[in-house]
Amino acid sequence: MQRREFLKLMGIVSGGAVLSSCGEDPHKKLISHVVPREGEVPGMAALYPSTCTECGAGCGIWVRVRERNPFKLEGMPGHPINDGALCIRGQASLSRLLHPDRITAPRRRTNTGDYQDVSWEQAMADVEQALSESGGRQVYLAGRTTGSLAALIDEFCRTRSFDRAPEVERFNHEAIRFAGDALFGRKSVPQYHLAEADVLVSLGADLLETFVSPVNFARQFAAALEKEQRWYHLEPHFSLTGNRASRRLVIRPDSEPYLLAWLLRAVPARRDLPAAVAAAVPAVTAEAAARQTGLPVTVIEELRDALRASSNPLLLAGGVALAGNNGRLTAVLAALLQWSLDMVGRTVDYERHENYETVGGAADFAGLVDALSDKQIGVLLISRLYHLDHVPSLRDALCGARFRVGLTDFMYPPYDGCDVILPLSHSLESWDDVEPRHGVISLIKPVFRPLHDTLSEGDILLQMMNNGLNYRTYLARRWGTIGRELLDQGWVIRDTEETTPTLQAGAPPPVITIQEPPADKTLVVVPSLRTFDGRSRVLTLLHEIPDPIATITYGNWVTLSVADADTLGITDGQELDIRTSGAGLRLPVKTHPQLAAGRVMVHTDQLDGLALPRDASSGEPLGILPIDSWQATGTRIDVPILSGSFTGAVGRGILPHDKPHHGPAHGGDDHATEHPPATLYPPKEYSRYRWALAIDLDRCIGCSACVAACYIENNVAIVGPDEHRIGREMAWLRIEPHLSRDGRMFFIPVMCQHCENAPCEAVCPVYATYHGSEGLNQQVYNRCVGTRYCANNCPYKVRRFNWFDHEWPSPLNLMLNPDVSVRPKGVMEKCTFCIQRIRQGKDHAKDQGRQVKDGEFTTACAQSCPTGAITFGNLLDRSSRIYALAQSPRAYRLLEGIGTEPAVYYLSKKRENA
Amino acid sequence: MSSLKGTFDQLERDVLAAMAKPKKSFWLALAVSSLMFAVGMGCWGWQIYKGLGVAGITNPVGWGVYITDFVFWVGIAHSGTLISAVLFLFRAKFRNSFNRTAEAMTIFAVMTAGLFPLIHLGRCWLFYWLFPYPNQRLLWVNFRSPLVWDVFAVSTYFTVSLIFWYVGMVPDLAIVRRYTTGVKQWIFRIFSLGWRGTRYQWEHYGKLYMFLAALATPLVISVHSVVSWDFAMSVVPGWHTTIFAPYFVAGAIFSGTAMVITLVVPMRRIFNLETYITVSHFESLAKILLFTSMIVTYSYIVEYVLAFYSGHEFEIAHFLYRSFGDYKYLYWLMLLCNSLLPLTIFVKKLRRNLTYLFILSLFVNVGMWLERFVIIVSSLAKDYDPYAWGTYTPTLIEAGITLGSFGMFFTFFLLFTKYLPVLSITEIKEISE
Repeated sequence: MQRREFLKLMGIVSGGAVLSSCGEDPHKKLISHVVPREGEVPGMAALYPSTCTECGAGCGIWVRVRERNPFKLEGMPGHPINDGALCIRGQASLSRLLHPDRITAPRRRTNTGDYQDVSWEQAMADVEQALSESGGRQVYLAGRTTGSLAALIDEFCRTRSFDRAPEVERFNHEAIRFAGDALFGRKSVPQYHLAEADVLVSLGADLLETFVSPVNFARQFAAALEKEQRWYHLEPHFSLTGNRASRRLVIRPDSEPYLLAWLLRAVPARRDLPAAVAAAVPAVTAEAAARQTGLPVTVIEELRDALRASSNPLLLAGGVALAGNNGRLTAVLAALLQWSLDMVGRTVDYERHENYETVGGAADFAGLVDALSDKQIGVLLISRLYHLDHVPSLRDALCGARFRVGLTDFMYPPYDGCDVILPLSHSLESWDDVEPRHGVISLIKPVFRPLHDTLSEGDILLQMMNNGLNYRTYLARRWGTIGRELLDQGWVIRDTEETTPTLQAGAPPPVITIQEPPADKTLVVVPSLRTFDGRSRVLTLLHEIPDPIATITYGNWVTLSVADADTLGITDGQELDIRTSGAGLRLPVKTHPQLAAGRVMVHTDQLDGLALPRDASSGEPLGILPIDSWQATGTRIDVPILSGSFTGAVGRGILPHDKPHHGPAHGGDDHATEHPPATLYPPKEYSRYRWALAIDLDRCIGCSACVAACYIENNVAIVGPDEHRIGREMAWLRIEPHLSRDGRMFFIPVMCQHCENAPCEAVCPVYATYHGSEGLNQQVYNRCVGTRYCANNCPYKVRRFNWFDHEWPSPLNLMLNPDVSVRPKGVMEKCTFCIQRIRQGKDHAKDQGRQVKDGEFTTACAQSCPTGAITFGNLLDRSSRIYALAQSPRAYRLLEGIGTEPAVYYLSKKRENA
Repeated sequence: MSSLKGTFDQLERDVLAAMAKPKKSFWLALAVSSLMFAVGMGCWGWQIYKGLGVAGITNPVGWGVYITDFVFWVGIAHSGTLISAVLFLFRAKFRNSFNRTAEAMTIFAVMTAGLFPLIHLGRCWLFYWLFPYPNQRLLWVNFRSPLVWDVFAVSTYFTVSLIFWYVGMVPDLAIVRRYTTGVKQWIFRIFSLGWRGTRYQWEHYGKLYMFLAALATPLVISVHSVVSWDFAMSVVPGWHTTIFAPYFVAGAIFSGTAMVITLVVPMRRIFNLETYITVSHFESLAKILLFTSMIVTYSYIVEYVLAFYSGHEFEIAHFLYRSFGDYKYLYWLMLLCNSLLPLTIFVKKLRRNLTYLFILSLFVNVGMWLERFVIIVSSLAKDYDPYAWGTYTPTLIEAGITLGSFGMFFTFFLLFTKYLPVLSITEIKEISE
């Protein structure tokens, strides 16, 4: 080769290399705008008010936004529904916005049945064409809608001559509304003032899990703890709610009317019942009530006495108590008791009732089903439906419409076969408001430009109405004078014109014969804490977090009592074949020590489309089903059960007042009197801060909201079912259910205990984990080589190893908290006490030249807790809440006998029976 | 004198015959073991690429087969030094038949063992962070961590064993030099360090060898004591106990002796060394085996007695779990291999039966591997917090890497038999004088 040739070649090669390296844009926008929006500081999270739309409860949220990306939702302090807290589903709903499976553009169904993305113009033109051509009636079928959107839909239906069908909601509380209608002429779900009652008797309603407004109830529960409330909860199965009542009474399924009928006569009425009504109430003796309900006479007499002595009682029925054949009757009798004991207008509030008026019962869809079957429907517009398994006739009839338009964010089953799909924006991408409770309006405000080619439902309707408005201006017009306050505050309470109803004089005594409840084995269908009616099943995070009762993450299962499992010779994970009249299911079992014999518990969302038998009077699916036969199939299904044992904690120093015998001899729980453990090392000294956490087991309900908050705040990886089956979940914080010596279930949140003498620190060969100057047990990801000795040596087993590199499929990566590093494979990680928040809090205080004030910031788990069970703070600050709690006689620490001196203090329960 | 000379010549020829052109069976054995080695390396490569998750280790069992293998191979490495150094100091003449093989075994076993801490690291490419080397960021290792002690214990043991082995071999290398030609001779010339066998050289050599033996002897105790402290220094019930150091040392000698028998019985037959390694020599080894087996059994008993006598709930729960829990079959199999079967060699006939000893040694190898597995895994599987309890099942990757470790060991051992004298010629000469 000639010298010149060589130089030419080199020139071409190096030039090519330079050019090709310019090809891809290496720019990554660290800060997405040069001039930040007003009030926005790069690197600091801005808070935008909005409302959670994961369920209909309408909790107010603050959206934490960094560089235009929302990365965490938090409850809005002061909001009338949730006052600062947010449930597990609400926390996870951010991943709905950024879900990789969201519909990104309008779709049209082709002749082959596939979908093809089209432009909005094209999709709207298709809809218009169908409207003009198809003939027949046009129907608007939507999920539960409140607030301005409900008004707009009405307007739309008027202008475009649509019939508005009743709204679809799986948990429509039909029986409660039926009773309200029959007795008070109000077909609505009243608001219950739990916190104001001195005696609370709840039947079946899972107040702390899914019932109507669970975060609100959880906050009220916490408020009631401050006073001497006696709470009786009657349920046939086992729920978090029952577990937190002062007294959980296990009742025979569907036998509530016997008890209520007896109570109606046994407790002296404070308001007179019309004679006709009183006479219609079945005469039940105490013995009969006790026999039918399976409760001892003394217990039901205790209930009677408590109600009699109470000055402001509350009795309510809901959920599984109303899911049997006697559901409507139970609701009616409960409402009669509410009237006769003068609860209506005091603890049972019809003035500011929950907005369920427009929701239909199963029977209300009969007309639509007929019209669909008769091919009378031209265009059917469906919106925000998740599944129609509870009205199978409607589900099956949907295809009877000539042209179907679907408004949705995911391809839920009802949208199969829709002719046009119009993708909906997430509530964080659109303007709106909701009114979950009468007169309580909560703002929905976009924090994010629509990620995909989507529109809000309001905008779609306004476009179809063709009146030149967009939804934002429509809302502004509608809000009028309240607009300013709504935008500033995030919510507004409007005056109500509703009044407290009175018992209708001519209220005809409704159905009053009690049907025989199931005698033997019963299948109890209950809503799921994690997925509500199944609508939240698309959110992977909710599968990653275990159901707190079964501790199962992925998959479906039934919960079985230990006694029945023994009889059947079946163990966890083995499949059970259950036959009930009209329905059969095969699912792996999980045994539970608190479930009564003869009860099998299954979540609504785990029935996988199974059609349940229906209530004869209301047509609603039954949730209490007598089991005809059951048998083990012999198949073993590998369900990821996270708990190693429900019963093994006894005598291990994990539960309160339950220390092992071998510990140092001393009285009580007062750790201050213990001898300091012998050590060769000098005691650690802190100059300004010693961070610590207190967890009040009296307040913890096991709702797992903190777990979801922790996952999102700390970029904890989602690893999927296969990893869970072998025990590799990455949760930094977990809710451990443990059965105590006296047979009570405790839910104990466990995270890194930030021990004073941390066993992990001594064994790390490279100082990747060490004791920080403020008492934190710190983990340096960069320094970690991955020996896992620290995890082995951690008595609390809270350390998590990254077995693989984890992925956040786009656009879920936008949800990553920029303040927290994403850990690579081969590295140990664990709870940091949200060190990023501590840093920020300290920086802020330093700017002002002072120490951090108590309560100035808190950890993600503490922030999300609906009952305020978690308190974070500085132990060196003698005036702090954490100091007071750590000194409380109720305080104890996990596994104190080992001498690790944890910085997490657990407070045992206050109430003797609780 | 001439007869003695004749015997010596015969001895040299016999030993060096093993280094002759290999037979087919050798090639086959080498092919199998190097294939195993390659499989193991492949598995490790995959594990580095994907992450440690391809192994079965999980929460709460953070250590599994890899650490079991590590302790197992360190244990195997034990007998080399014991037989060479300790028995040398005690003037136990029968050692001369085994010491070279045993020392080679030590070297290769330590090399194999040394790989496992690397294999089990989440980020093995950063293994050098475990060494206290001066660096810009002034980061130092944590001297409180037993893993750092391990680094020192194992590397010291390896260094001293290597020197001891090499020094012991120098006179033999000089003999080999005499019998070889060309490049080979040139290499052996370099490594025999100008050995001429003069009286002056022998005098110094003897002193050096004795000092090295004296230096190596405490290491027999220390290295496995330190390895045992990896466990004993923790708070895990089942690990945290003071008897671990002597218990593990006895176990290591036990398993190491078994491995010597496993290796030497076939080697003796293949290389026709029956004249130099006699049945009586094996009988002596069998006695060591029996003695250490009884120490190990005693330790098993002590562990249980301590747990129940202490009244410590977690210890009691653990030892019940160990014997009746998820890993009970492995536990009882371990007892059979380590405590019951070795008792049979109280019978003189059996301990002089080489086939029987060979089979027994295999059982002991398995039993000792199981012992480490049971201690490591069952202790971690159920410790303090019942919510976190879980079990561990090894994956094929772990099996592959374990197989690879045997492949590595045997590959090196086979190469050793071809390139170096497998018996200590000079020392056998000494005892036959």
